[in-house]
Amino acid sequence: MTGEPPADTRALDETVQDLKKDVVDLNKELFVLEEELLFPANTQVAVFVSMDIGEFFALDSLTLKIDNKEVANYMYTPREAEALLKGGVHRVYLGNLKVGEHQLVAFFAGKGPNNLDYKRGANLKFEKGVGAKYLELKITDRQRKAQPEFAIKDWE
Amino acid sequence: MSKLSRIVAVGALVALAPALATPAMAAKPEVDKLSPTVVRDLHFGDALFYYYQAQDFEAITRLQAYRQWGRMPHHDAETDLLLGGLYLSLGLHNEAGERFETLLTQSVPEGVRNRAWFYLGKIWYARGYLDRSERAIKEVQGRLTPDLEAERLHLLSNILMRQQRFDEAIALLNSWKGRSDQSDWLAYAQYNLGVALVRKGLVTEADPFLTAVGTIESGRRELRSLRDRANLALGYAYLQNNQPAEAKPVLQRVRLDGPFSNKALLGVGWADAAEGQFQEALTPWMELRDRNLLDSAVQEAYLAIPYAFAKLNANAQAAENYELAIRSFDTETVNLDASLAEIDDGTMLDKLLKRDEKDHYGWFWQLKEVPDAAQSRYLYHLLAGHDFQEGLKNYRDLAFMGSTLSRWQDSIVAFDDMLDTRERAYAERVPQADAVLNSGRLDRYGAERATAGGKLDEVETTQDVAALGTAEERDQWARIVRLETALLAAPTDEETNVIREKTRLAKGVLYWRLAESFKARVWNERRTLKDLDQALREAQNRWVRVQKARSSMPNNTGEFAARVEALRLRLEAAQQRLAGVATQQNGLLESLARTELEQQKERIGTYQIQARFALASIYDRAALGGGAVNTPKEGATESQGELEIVPSEEKQPDAPGEVQPAPGETPAQGETPPPAEPPK
Repeated sequence: MTGEPPADTRALDETVQDLKKDVVDLNKELFVLEEELLFPANTQVAVFVSMDIGEFFALDSLTLKIDNKEVANYMYTPREAEALLKGGVHRVYLGNLKVGEHQLVAFFAGKGPNNLDYKRGANLKFEKGVGAKYLELKITDRQRKAQPEFAIKDWE
Repeated sequence: MSKLSRIVAVGALVALAPALATPAMAAKPEVDKLSPTVVRDLHFGDALFYYYQAQDFEAITRLQAYRQWGRMPHHDAETDLLLGGLYLSLGLHNEAGERFETLLTQSVPEGVRNRAWFYLGKIWYARGYLDRSERAIKEVQGRLTPDLEAERLHLLSNILMRQQRFDEAIALLNSWKGRSDQSDWLAYAQYNLGVALVRKGLVTEADPFLTAVGTIESGRRELRSLRDRANLALGYAYLQNNQPAEAKPVLQRVRLDGPFSNKALLGVGWADAAEGQFQEALTPWMELRDRNLLDSAVQEAYLAIPYAFAKLNANAQAAENYELAIRSFDTETVNLDASLAEIDDGTMLDKLLKRDEKDHYGWFWQLKEVPDAAQSRYLYHLLAGHDFQEGLKNYRDLAFMGSTLSRWQDSIVAFDDMLDTRERAYAERVPQADAVLNSGRLDRYGAERATAGGKLDEVETTQDVAALGTAEERDQWARIVRLETALLAAPTDEETNVIREKTRLAKGVLYWRLAESFKARVWNERRTLKDLDQALREAQNRWVRVQKARSSMPNNTGEFAARVEALRLRLEAAQQRLAGVATQQNGLLESLARTELEQQKERIGTYQIQARFALASIYDRAALGGGAVNTPKEGATESQGELEIVPSEEKQPDAPGEVQPAPGETPAQGETPPPAEPPK
């Protein structure tokens, strides 16, 4: 008895690993295909959400409007909110837009200072060029005012 | 492993979370972490969003895709490390190991490197790859935190013991000097050292270590369990060494309500029996008989009791108890057969997994709740065992991947439809586009614009103020010019002169009006031309885009169609392989379960034969008229006839290392409690 797994167990484990690796790679290929097919780079626009410490604001939900049309309405689970606080950035919207000027409006809802209901908005006019456009909704804590701050960053 | 441990285990490889979330905090130097990193590419943050929710499959997919698109240029190194950790988490330890071997270079901080090797070693150990595990653990260099160092030693000693390398294990454990606040680790080390010595046959040398653990005072379940195991190990070592007097007090230290009490009670009985104290031996054995017959110690007690009665010459009671044993074993055999039949119907795993949450997968998953299936009570130890759990994890992972691929199969159909629609729309629009592109309208507009520009230049140069007048003014101007021309040929008389004068005056007034607004009108015209230029440029751009789209569309659609088709084939092949491997995995797990049940059945069968033989022997002796008058014998060796009914364990008690909390664990492992639950 050497403590090694039996030969058939080990052989099967190797097979399972190979297969898992293939499935992981295949899943990636399908993910790539889907995005390239549905959201080509020349029309793609993606909106991301990020948070920093989250001392003054706990995000519950988010509504996005582009050119006055609602494109996303997202409720955050505690697990997702936690992932944001740890440093994750959520791609909340992926869509297509024509070249030209557009307007993004975001409404944030959650708990603000002293655990009170808190709603805020932010908006940005942006120019969509021929390449993909990335916009970041940033929720930051403004320590001096003890208030959260909501801003939209255009990543070009 | 808890979620927290999971985060630490993989998170230690990247240690990004606090740095990303709170740059201010992350600025504090931490030797065990990579340099503080801020998210410089949104897509890297997006992959982390899924990683932090333990959605490892999604995180891997996104990291790979985003890397392919070149969307994370600033996080190349972190991406590699994170991918390594994620592969590990999905049970792809070979892939993870290969990655780490190339990634964990000197440029990675020592603390991070050590942790990565350490956790890789743990996972290989748990998967049974002891050689790889040992290699990974030996890659850990420099100073670790005291607890990590203790855990490393613990893991290494387990690796050595599972490979029967007891001398090396003894030397390693003897060399370790734990700190005073590491009493838990010390207890584990002493236990392992004691077991290693026993396995080398050095029971006397093992005694102080196992006694030290066996007399620990603790209210904690984990340590009380370790204490019981130490006493059981030492007690059986003494029994095996023919030292029953030493064995008995040690075995009596085992708690009566603990998981090891059955073995201990059996051993206490054998210690008494070995000294000819059959009356005393009956006390623990009778206690055992009221317990669960699934336990091998209880089964053995069913034979040991009549054996003791026979030794005490109480043949009637002996016969009665042998009959009871035979009936009980019969019932269990029927139950075992029923359970075996359930395994044969091939639905065991699905029944096991039915109650479990569906959306979790990966290395850190464990079956926590044993289902209420008929075979569960026979398989309890097997289900808790390592090999079975590993296989079950793979089975679950395969099922999860299968469901993911099924969703993609639906999407592939949608992609196909979409491409068809695009192609139809393309076919409809192409004639319109071609008509526009072939009309030459844009060129004509350009030429007209140039003509208009030239005219304006001329008007401005020649100060042709009338040219920019309103339609009415231009009409008036033309009429004046016509009148002037007509007057040239008219006779010079008073009436004509009056007309000439009026014409001159009208022309002067009109010219003055036109001249006054000329500059503004030129400016307006220039602005109109500028607007026209912009419109023409835009039209030109669109024209180019339409031309481009027109020429690339067939290729683009065709390329997508080819990709969709290729992926569809791969999907189908992967689904088939998944189903095949899942069946193999299922078969392996079922065979483990079947083997376990058959072993139980075989053991009961052996006991049953022994019981029948002994019963027959008693009846024979009674028939011969000798049974009732026999005096009790001093020891089992004095009666060859009766020796045959003595369960084999009396002659060869378990080796100390074989005393395990779960019979499913193999004796030779000599393992201390699972490393996954180290002392806190």
